[in-house]
Amino acid sequence: MSGPLAPTPSGPAPVLLARGVGKVYQSRGAAGGPRVANHDLHLRLDAGEVVALLGPNGAGKTTFLRQVAGQLLPTSGSIVVAGVDIVAEPLEAKRFLSVIPQECQPMQELTVEEQIRGFARLKGVPAASLDATVEEILRDVGLVAERGQIVRELSGGFKRRVLIAVAMASATPRLMLLDEPTTGLDPEARRQVWSVIRGLRRRGLGILLTTHYIEEAEILADRVVIISGGRFTVSGTVEEIRNRLPYRGRLIVLRADRLTAAGAEAVRALETRWRVTLREPSTIWFEVPDPFDRDTVGELARLASLGVQASLRPVSLEDAYLTVVGTPEALV
Amino acid sequence: MMTTVRQIGVATSMTLRATFRELGAILGFVVLFPLAFLFFLGAIVQHDLRTQVVVGAIMMEMALLNVNVVGQSIGADKESKLYDLWVSLPASPVVYVTSIALSLLPFSLLSAVLTLTVGAIAFGVSIPLALVPWLLLGFLLVWASTLGIGFAIGVFGRTPRQINQIAQFVGIVMTFFAPVFYPVTILPEPIRIIAYLWPITWGTVLLTGLLAANATTVLEATGVLAGFALGSVVLIGRGIRWRQT
Repeated sequence: MSGPLAPTPSGPAPVLLARGVGKVYQSRGAAGGPRVANHDLHLRLDAGEVVALLGPNGAGKTTFLRQVAGQLLPTSGSIVVAGVDIVAEPLEAKRFLSVIPQECQPMQELTVEEQIRGFARLKGVPAASLDATVEEILRDVGLVAERGQIVRELSGGFKRRVLIAVAMASATPRLMLLDEPTTGLDPEARRQVWSVIRGLRRRGLGILLTTHYIEEAEILADRVVIISGGRFTVSGTVEEIRNRLPYRGRLIVLRADRLTAAGAEAVRALETRWRVTLREPSTIWFEVPDPFDRDTVGELARLASLGVQASLRPVSLEDAYLTVVGTPEALV
Repeated sequence: MMTTVRQIGVATSMTLRATFRELGAILGFVVLFPLAFLFFLGAIVQHDLRTQVVVGAIMMEMALLNVNVVGQSIGADKESKLYDLWVSLPASPVVYVTSIALSLLPFSLLSAVLTLTVGAIAFGVSIPLALVPWLLLGFLLVWASTLGIGFAIGVFGRTPRQINQIAQFVGIVMTFFAPVFYPVTILPEPIRIIAYLWPITWGTVLLTGLLAANATTVLEATGVLAGFALGSVVLIGRGIRWRQT
């Protein structure tokens, strides 16, 4: 078996094992019949691993996260968190689980430290080790200087860090679910949150995150799972997914509306060799088999000699994502 | 059980701190009720009903605080997704709701003290000291029995605006159909049946029974209120689950 449920039979128990998870709502579909929110989802996530769930709006990312978090009952399949079935024993499974819901705000009127301390106690951190736990978390998420500040007064990036700190404040942390953890943050704050997530991974937590930022998945994730129409369509490392595209690069022609006659002729000639994936008044994208081979680089040089502005780049995860979401069968 | 009790303690200390730091609206409840009560007492109510009005004002404030503030707190938490964070904790919904309600209790008690003081000093209402513990018990029963209403409004309401509207509506119905400021016998028969569906009516029956030293009435009202309180706990703990199906 390959894909998201990649088995490692001799390895340690996974922190998350989802098998055949599905959700069907009765009588809520467009035609009044049952509506399938997701179907036959399999995912294994090990300790110290980051899996990014990518998909367009409404693809079922948050639905799956809510099922894993025990907030939404699946109609089929099983979800086991750190060896505990979340459906059968939700309170026990939640001891190993931390969740940061999408666009969640911490308690605004508490200080950073009060918040971490309170949630740590609620999640079973014993009084004897509370001080040490809180100090460690404050240090790990970089909130030592802000510990006494009221949360309401913090910036968006710091509030997100407070939420991560709250999620870390657990006696038995194993799995963390982050639903779009950096949405709405400025680039600097996003990088700060990424740094914290990398730290969590180093601590051995399994992390399942959803994101709309392809770059975020490329930077953080050990594996990427693309969900579309409630199904996991593709999974693997960023490299594996990129390699499943039938082409390896793009040749991009800029200022296509200002070409000389010779330049326009040369670009038209390329269309007989390579498929055009995007055509706009000023830009044309070609799929090229290999952006680094002698022939392709030679074409780029020839275009340049005719005054055509063009560039070559290897395929990205975004290319693969857009291909999967548009036409999954286009992958090899 | 011990874990739940400990979690209620922790959660209450958190919500209590937060409530103390955003006092405005709560203090409105706490201060406005004695003033409204003064109006009733001075302008409308006959002398022999003054004690009932004092006691009724305290109960009404307690019930409205539970219905409005508990409902709206849950609504605000849903809006900010903090509710989802609570849902993800290894804790029962009872912990969450009880912590919100307990964080309001000091304000309710403060309001009760203010109302009793104004009633005694300005209008000569006399409440025997021996009755004070029983009155407190009655207040607590009303507090516990109205919790489920606030929680249900907060959980079933889809948006903060809808929650606010439902809470206001319930508050108005409770104010006019629960005979807090007048004897239940004044109401015509069909409305009296509706009135008896509200825990606050039984709170009034309990407290007027206490003031009249009528043991049968007190026992009957205590039993019904305890039933409402138990119903609240069952509704919160089992009837309304964290988990969606």
